[in-house]
Amino acid sequence: MAKKITKKLEENIKNYEELFSDCEDIKKRRIKVGQQQKKECYLAYIEVAVSSTDWKDSAIGKFLTTLRELPEEELVSYVSKNTWDISDSQPFETIEDAAQGMLTGDAIFFLDGYDKALKIPDKGYPGRGVYEVESEKVIRGSNEGFSESIKLNTALIRKRLRSPHLKVKETFAGRRTHTNVDLVYLKDLIYPGMLEEIEKRLQEFEIDGTLDSGIIEQLTEKRKYSPFPQFQTTQRPDRAAMAILEGRIVLLSDNSPVALILPATYNSFIQTSDDYYSRWEIASFTRVLRYIASFLAMTFPGLYLAMTNFHTQILPTDLLLSLAAARQGVPFPAVVEILLMELAFELLREAGVRLPGANGNTIGIVGGLIIGQAAVDANIVSPIVVIVVALTALCSFAVPNEEFATAFRILKFAFILVCGYLGFFGFLLGITAVLIHLSHLESFGIPYLAPFVGADLNGYQDERDTFLRLPLKFLKKRPVYTRDGARTRLKIK
Amino acid sequence: MFADNWKISLRQISRLMILDLFGLSTLILPGKLAGMTGADGIISLILGMCGGFLLLGLIQGNLRYMQGSYYEYMKENTGQILSDIFMVFYFVYFIALAGYVVYQLDRLILSWLLPDGSYWLVELLVLVLAAYGTIRGIEGRARVYEILFWFLGVPLIVMLGFSVASVNTDYWTPLLDTNGKLYMENSIIVWSFLLPLAGLLFLKPFCRKTEKLAGCGKTAILTVTMVNVVIYLILIGTFGQNTVQILKHPVITLMSVVNLPGGFFPRQDVIMTTVWFFALFALLHTGVFQGTLILKELCRETKTNYSMLVVLVLVFLTGNGFVENGFMEGIFEVYQQWIVLPGMFAILLLVPFIYHVRNYWNRRKGEKEQCKNTHS
Repeated sequence: MAKKITKKLEENIKNYEELFSDCEDIKKRRIKVGQQQKKECYLAYIEVAVSSTDWKDSAIGKFLTTLRELPEEELVSYVSKNTWDISDSQPFETIEDAAQGMLTGDAIFFLDGYDKALKIPDKGYPGRGVYEVESEKVIRGSNEGFSESIKLNTALIRKRLRSPHLKVKETFAGRRTHTNVDLVYLKDLIYPGMLEEIEKRLQEFEIDGTLDSGIIEQLTEKRKYSPFPQFQTTQRPDRAAMAILEGRIVLLSDNSPVALILPATYNSFIQTSDDYYSRWEIASFTRVLRYIASFLAMTFPGLYLAMTNFHTQILPTDLLLSLAAARQGVPFPAVVEILLMELAFELLREAGVRLPGANGNTIGIVGGLIIGQAAVDANIVSPIVVIVVALTALCSFAVPNEEFATAFRILKFAFILVCGYLGFFGFLLGITAVLIHLSHLESFGIPYLAPFVGADLNGYQDERDTFLRLPLKFLKKRPVYTRDGARTRLKIK
Repeated sequence: MFADNWKISLRQISRLMILDLFGLSTLILPGKLAGMTGADGIISLILGMCGGFLLLGLIQGNLRYMQGSYYEYMKENTGQILSDIFMVFYFVYFIALAGYVVYQLDRLILSWLLPDGSYWLVELLVLVLAAYGTIRGIEGRARVYEILFWFLGVPLIVMLGFSVASVNTDYWTPLLDTNGKLYMENSIIVWSFLLPLAGLLFLKPFCRKTEKLAGCGKTAILTVTMVNVVIYLILIGTFGQNTVQILKHPVITLMSVVNLPGGFFPRQDVIMTTVWFFALFALLHTGVFQGTLILKELCRETKTNYSMLVVLVLVFLTGNGFVENGFMEGIFEVYQQWIVLPGMFAILLLVPFIYHVRNYWNRRKGEKEQCKNTHS
């Protein structure tokens, strides 16, 4: 049961210190205040979260200075009337709430004779600040990236969307981590049902801790066995702001630089921020490339196997002869050869990611060039397989979203097996299965394949921003994620 | 929001219908027509189309009076027993059709993609896929074919465009050289290939704009007839009547001889098989879906999916029957032309007739009662 804060300072200190016994990182100080220095107060804070060495210019310092200048009998009245000049200070009525307030990185203040505790904000937990985004690089556009601080992240979005309609709904996740989770959206654009749905899903689980938005993502996804993500992720505030302008909701989790965007569709995963900053011709061209890349990242090795093992008649004779010559002396069947190379590539990728920056690059060079060449020289694999695997890898890198690309990387192995066994028929079976799966998949009520399917829901307007991104002047309507009646995005005067 | 509401759009229904009608007709009809009427096959195709429109007119007539599902509509007008009999009639048709399509898919795959493969394996795999598609409901099914439509349509149009170069128009003559009986026989064959239109009757509860449902059928009949006429003329013009009638799948053979500019890919038959694979799979999917839907209604099954399992087993056995017994193909054709076609016509005429008679009777009864009340 929660312990009420009383007017007796000693009792409050006892209860508070009981709660934080053996916590050496938490500083607790008794301070005398009032003109005669006869009244006692108590300050508790996390060591690095509050500037304990130089209080002079901090909010706490100024607050304490004021308290020292007031007569003792006026102190409680002054504090309780909330007349000091500190933003974001908050009174708590129970010891547990006060403790929770301190754990968000602020100081907690108790005063003898005052039956509440005050949260006094300071610099908060250490963080990285705004850094350049490492993934989702763009040629044109902002390079600011989200950081681990949720407050900073919401501010980065607010900086881009200076509208009173932008709402930030705060909730908490994690029984022990008590992680802040913010839902950011434009109130006049979203479907209220969508907001209710995500709020409901956030309430549907209770977990020890959510240390990254990835945990929330997995716990709130409807189709947990699907390899395809049902939330779009981004580290870019401009991408998040753009999504909010489309009537989507952004979910931010404290300690995570990755924001979740809902709902998500296949098309939204293929889009990048600079698609809209660049001219429509190049944006459309790269969009088409990315679509082809997403398809080939999954199917290219399988198609190679089907063509070379089952349907050689469709290849020109010269090409067929050179393929056969390249495979001469290779002891493994083509399917084993491809599997070996693909697994080796995945190993290299994993090693490259885990190693620190420069070493990671070295692994790429050592693996890609030296081991690849050595494997070809030793007749373990044919040069053509190295080309196939390298092209497949390039295709998977061209998919702008890492989580989305992962789905294709996993499915690629299924295609290798099924095409290795059944040839082009296997490919057709595989593609039909994927298509059926995708056509059933939905993200917060929006079909995953929208607007290729159900385009009539928005008068076929969304099709203008799919394979091709038509000139901005034609994109007058917001996509189907936006509520009816609020879909006009552009008016030409 | 939008998904999972068991509603599909008119565009989805149109595309679904086009693929349903396109697959079997383009694969099988050219061989049959060439054998009997030569270049006059196009006349049979057009007459068959007229038959299709007649069938669609009857379907539209029934759709107009339907409030809920087709079964409810029949039950309301003809009573429990008759409506159950009619539903069994449709059920048998869809199962037989699905079985026949599985058999044709088997033939297609084993002829062009997997010559050393096993009938059983192919049959099993496509049925598992159809089950996966059916289990998720109609929305997913409609979306698959909505998205596939242009991916299949564009390559087909391109290939047909390139194949025009090899057409010898001399093969198109003599025209109007067939006797009336043959025209009739062939038109009935063409007509029987348009029977999957009956699926429209069962789609009304799932359609977003029910008043335009018959329009989807119109689009499908026109598109498929047009494509069939073009393919038929190209086939006759390229291979001649005698060759077309002995080829197993003349249209795919055509794809294998089309020369694309640049000549990088010497043969496109394997890749173009995709078009017919998906079209036949769409029809198989329709058969399994409609069969399941009908059986569920007949058995009043709401939560479980045992009906689908029964349907899959029946389709598997029927498909296997076609594979094992060569004569079954002929029997199926006779069944389609002489049992399903007239039977469907009879049902489509009878139910609205009873509807009107009942309405007339009720009106008369009402008037009489009103008269009685006025006099008393």
